[in-house]
This record gives sequence, structure tokens and C-alpha cells, in this order.
Amino acid sequence: MRRLRAVMAKEFFHLLRDPRSLAIVFAMPLVQIFIFGYAISFDLEEIPMAAVDFSRSEPSAALLRVFARSGEFDLKPLEGEGGLDDAERALLSGAVKQVVVIPADYAERIREGRTAEVGLLIDGSDSNIAARVFQHSEILLQRHGTRILGAEEVLRIGTRVYFNPESQSVFFFVPGLVAVILLMISALITSSSIARERELGSVELLFISPLRSAEIIVGKTLPYVLVALAVGGFILLFSHFWFGVPVRGNLLLLLLFALLYVLAGVSFGILVSTVAPTQRTAMLGSLLATLLPSILLSGFIFPLDSLSPVLRSLSLAIPATHFLRIIRGVVVKGAELRHFMTEGLFLAGLCVLLLALAAAKFTGLRRRRR
Amino acid sequence: MRLFYLVKKETLEVVRQRELLALMFIAPLIQIIILGYVITTDVRNIPVAVVDLEQGRVSRAVTERLVRSPLFRVRRVSYRDEDAEEMLRRGEVSAVIVFRDPDAPGRFAWKLPQVRVHLDGVDANSSQIAAGYFNGLIRDVLAREVKRAGAEMPLEARPLVRYNPRLRSINFMGPGIVALLLTVLSMFITSFSFVREREQQTMDTLLLSRLRPLEIYAGKALPAVVVGLVDMVLGIAVVIFWFGIPVRGNLLHLFPAALLYLAAILSYALIISTVVSNQMQALFFTWFSFILFMLLSGFFTPLESIRARAPALMILTDINPLRYLIKIIREIFLKGNGPAFFWRDLAALAGIALALTSLSLLNFKRFISR
Repeated sequence: MRRLRAVMAKEFFHLLRDPRSLAIVFAMPLVQIFIFGYAISFDLEEIPMAAVDFSRSEPSAALLRVFARSGEFDLKPLEGEGGLDDAERALLSGAVKQVVVIPADYAERIREGRTAEVGLLIDGSDSNIAARVFQHSEILLQRHGTRILGAEEVLRIGTRVYFNPESQSVFFFVPGLVAVILLMISALITSSSIARERELGSVELLFISPLRSAEIIVGKTLPYVLVALAVGGFILLFSHFWFGVPVRGNLLLLLLFALLYVLAGVSFGILVSTVAPTQRTAMLGSLLATLLPSILLSGFIFPLDSLSPVLRSLSLAIPATHFLRIIRGVVVKGAELRHFMTEGLFLAGLCVLLLALAAAKFTGLRRRRR
Repeated sequence: MRLFYLVKKETLEVVRQRELLALMFIAPLIQIIILGYVITTDVRNIPVAVVDLEQGRVSRAVTERLVRSPLFRVRRVSYRDEDAEEMLRRGEVSAVIVFRDPDAPGRFAWKLPQVRVHLDGVDANSSQIAAGYFNGLIRDVLAREVKRAGAEMPLEARPLVRYNPRLRSINFMGPGIVALLLTVLSMFITSFSFVREREQQTMDTLLLSRLRPLEIYAGKALPAVVVGLVDMVLGIAVVIFWFGIPVRGNLLHLFPAALLYLAAILSYALIISTVVSNQMQALFFTWFSFILFMLLSGFFTPLESIRARAPALMILTDINPLRYLIKIIREIFLKGNGPAFFWRDLAALAGIALALTSLSLLNFKRFISR
């Protein structure tokens, strides 16, 4: 225990001697929360669009009013004569995302009760916006159509959104940010601090000391684990008071799983550092081999359900996937242990596996050095 | 000539260490392939549960459509009333759709159920897309009902999608990923440059040599330019041959933009390298900047939504070099536009590059005079 304390004290000195790194570690997520909170949204309000109206009639003007008043579109006048060529040019330059084309026989068909076709010329280059533009327009057209029929109240679809009724993206990103920061600190700092000792040669001193391997590792990493958890708590607290992100579940339970998750991160860091001989390689390695997959394949930004089956099963091997579901469940949905038994078991299993692997690699490295 | 030796030294330092070399050229390949599959804004396989208390023709038709649609994955169909919130909290479905008997028959002969959609709002983006899809689907069924009753839907949408007719997300994201590849490794390597020399106490040797400051500066940046360009070309090859993204414009137009961009981003990385006091700080700073550049570049969320929600943040996107590179690369790939369409972005990029390079040189002068 005394030996363990000595290693920990050494690492704490490293930390405190470098207050700038600590400051960065706290400031970084803060700025990101602000950007996620204020700027990042897939929504487009007032999508710029134009119209080419060949019918020039009362019914066609009524249809265009529907678009102009929807709040989803911003109906802009076309340059030039307002013909199809001008429309194509506006689309190519990106000034508008959609052009509604109303055919010449529109009014006639509406009057006779025949189906009138309305052309939608859509800029598909951003597939996400394009899909939404089409969705919005189709709903507007259908609604207008049922109104013409006089059948508006036939079907009402009630929608209720749980947990995040105002659809704020911070609710989604903040728990993810906590997961990423926890991993970043545990995996990156561990790998680089061991690689640093290797680079400077001081690792030999640790290796020939009477310290057991477990003591070296626990002593070296525990200070960073504490920092990581502090940053995580800080992010949650801040976004709770600033953005009103709810914290609905049991935080102690969350802490327990956060520890497991951080332990997995530390093991990753050790694994990387046993392979990489210098700090530069160790840091880039943990960035590319642990951080990026954990961001991309965990459902942090891109929903896992949409992935191909191969990638989806790959995502199960990433601790962040399970931790994300747990932290989102606990924080935003108020989930309890019975809601995420599977994820918890997966996380614990992965953690044990990684830890065993890291311990074996580390003692191997030590034995070779002796 | 002296410059050549410094470049050679830098190159040797990378080549000598096989792990780093592999990281620099193989990692980007793996990255772009995974990114290509993961970074998609398509929403597919949304897990849903159906609670059908009406069991009428319409509810059955809608359920059947849901089962057949690739957009949804029906996990469960239940004919008893169930607690939707509990199902959402467990997280196995993102939406619960409930059909009930209508209160009273409307003034139409068709008997239509009450529909209520319960959504998990945590992922605001996906849940809104899901709601949109579901609305479209159910209105489609409604249109069929109208036809059965002998009437015709008055309006019908005829979409025509330009530039990316099948709305493939990869066509939009792929070129953006190429821009990211150009950034990641060149920026990270450069940000380590001076701080690494300082940590290994070789900075003074470098300064005492006959190299002029400008040569030291260029010698540090040039290898990274090569790494960046090679990674970019690799990325373009993968995007074209693996993912089959069409190139409509002239790829040679990309190189001036890429060089200007590298000048800007590497100057920035060199500033980081002189400001920080150890390699870990360099990594944190660079990672953090990279995330900011990416979030504020329009890479996966539309810039227009930033303009609408947080106009103050638009300044940050205006000075973000990545924003212009991504715009240009997309114009070339998707729309086949030439410099006539994006000269403004090119000029902005040149301005930023000039500003950052001079700032960085001034900063370097100050750095070596200490």
C-alpha cells in the first residue's frame, strides 16, 4: 500500500506540475458543449426555395402560399425571367435547395377533380437536406390535397416525444461527450505517460524497482482516472445548469459503470503503449485505434441501427457502445439497472478481457526488459 | 540545399519508426473505408413496436407496410395496451406506434383509427426523421383509402433530384472525408514538431546550426505537406474506386485549394507547437482544434442552421479554412463546378492562409529569440 502511494504521489506531481494540460482537459469539453448546444443541428429552418409557376392562376398561387407560410421554406424570387433555366442556375449555384414547378394545366385539373402533378426539382448534393426537403414538400402537398378534397379531419396523427420534448441536440450529445472525454483521458494519458517513461528511459527504474506490475499500473493510472471522473461530473453539472439537460437516474449507479468503462480505457492505453516505443506514436496510435472507433462506431453521432450488420456487430466489441447506452439511459431517460442489464454485462465482460490482455502484455514487456 | 538536409532528417525520423509510418499511410485507408460506411445521415432500420388495439384494415395495412419498409424494423406487434414509455426507456425500440378505435365516426364513410406515435426523443435528429417517414407512410395509406372511396387525390408530387439522384449519403460525405484525411495526420505531426525537439533538448542544436529560421520552419512543414497530399490522393482513390462516387469536375482544380489549405492549417499547427510545453498538450490542443474545425465546417450539419440558430458563431465558421476546402471539394465532385463558381471560397482560403502564415512566422521569430 505504501509503495502504491509512492507511485501515485509521483504521478500526481506530474499532473500538478503541468496545470496547463489540466486546464485544457477541463476547457475543451466546455467549448464543445457550447458548440453542440448552440450551433449543431441537422435541422434546417427556412430552407431557401423558388417556384416556377406556369399556371399563374388562383389555385396555383394558393399552393405557393402553402409553401411560403409553412415556416419550413423561404420562398425566394428567381433572377432573370424566372423560367426553368433560371431555376436550374439557382439550383447549381446553391442559392436555393428546391424549385417547385407548377404545370400549365394545374388549375384546370384541380377544377375538374383530376390529379394534378407538381414537379419538385431538388438539389440532392446534401442527401440529408434533400431527403428532408422532399419529406416536407410531400407532406405539404398531401395536406393541401386533403384540404381541397375537404377531408382534412379524416386522420389525425398524434405524436408525443419522450425524454426530450423540445428535440434539443444537447440532450443527445452531452452524455456522448462525457463518454468520449472519459476515454480520451484514460486511454490517451495512460498510453502517453508510459510511452514517455519508455522514451526517457525512466521506465527501467520502475521495472527494476520492487514494485509489482499491478502496483505500477494502478499507481500510474489512478490519478488520471480521478481526473477523468471529475471532468465527466463537471460536464454533466455544467450542462444541467446551463442547458437544462436533465439528470434523471441514479448517479451512483452511473459512477459504478463509469469506473468499469474508464478501466477498459486504461487497459487500451496500456496495450497501445506496450506496442509503441515513443510518445508520438503512442498518442497517434491511441487516437486512431481507440478514440476514433469509439466516436464513430458507438452511436455517439451516427445511429447504430442504420449501420450494416457487420459494422453493427463490430460496434458490440467497443466498450463505448455499451457505456453510451447506459449513460444516455441513466441521465436522460432515468433508466434503472433492470433497463440495461445486457449492456452492463457486456461492459463488464469487455473490461475484464481488456484488463487481462493489458496485464499480460505489460508483464511480458517487463520480463523482456529484465 | 541546407533545407534539404533538414527535410531528410525529418523524413528519416518518420521512416525509421515503422509503427509511425504504418500509422500515417495505412491508418487513413482503414479510416476512410470505415468512415465511408459509418458517416451517413441515412436513417434505416429504426426499431419500432406496434400496439394495435383497433385491428382494423387500416392499422393492419400500415403495420404491413412498416414490416416491409427498409426504414423500419418492427421488433414487436402487440394487441394489448402496453406502457410505451417503459418500452422506450429500455431502449430496444425508438418508437411505439399505437392504433386505437376512433371516438366517433367522422363525416366520411371510412372508419379510420386514432394513431399515436410515441418517440424516443434522445436522438432528436433520428426521431424527427422517423416521424417524417412515418407521416409519409400513413398519408400514403390514406391516399389509397381515398381512392377506394371513389375519389382521387388532387395533388401528386413528381420529384426530380439533381446532382445525386439516388440521394446516396456517401456521395455527399465522401469528398468531405477526403478533406478530413488531408487534415488529420499532417496537422498532428506538425503540432509535435518543435515541442518534441524541445522535450528531447535538441531544439538548441537546431538553432545553433547554420539553418536560417525560415529554413527550420519550412523543413518542419514540408514533410507534413507531402504526408497530407499523399493521404489525400489515397483518400480520393478509395472514394472513387471503392465507393464509386462520381467525379463531375476537374480534380486538378483541387490542388491549389489543397495547398492553400495546408499552408493555413500547418501554420496553425506550428503555432500550437511553439505555444505548448509538452507533447501531450500539443495532442490535446490539436485534437480539440480539429474537432472545432470539423463541427463548424458544414461537414455533417448544414451551415445554414448555424446561421439561423447562432449568428454570432458564424464568425468562427467564416475564419475556418476547412469550411472552404469542403465546399470546394464538394463543388468539384458533386456539381462539377469550376473555379468560376467557387473563386470566392478560394480567395477566402488564400486570405486565411496568408494571415495564418504571417502570424505563425512572427510567432516563430519570437519563439527562437527566447
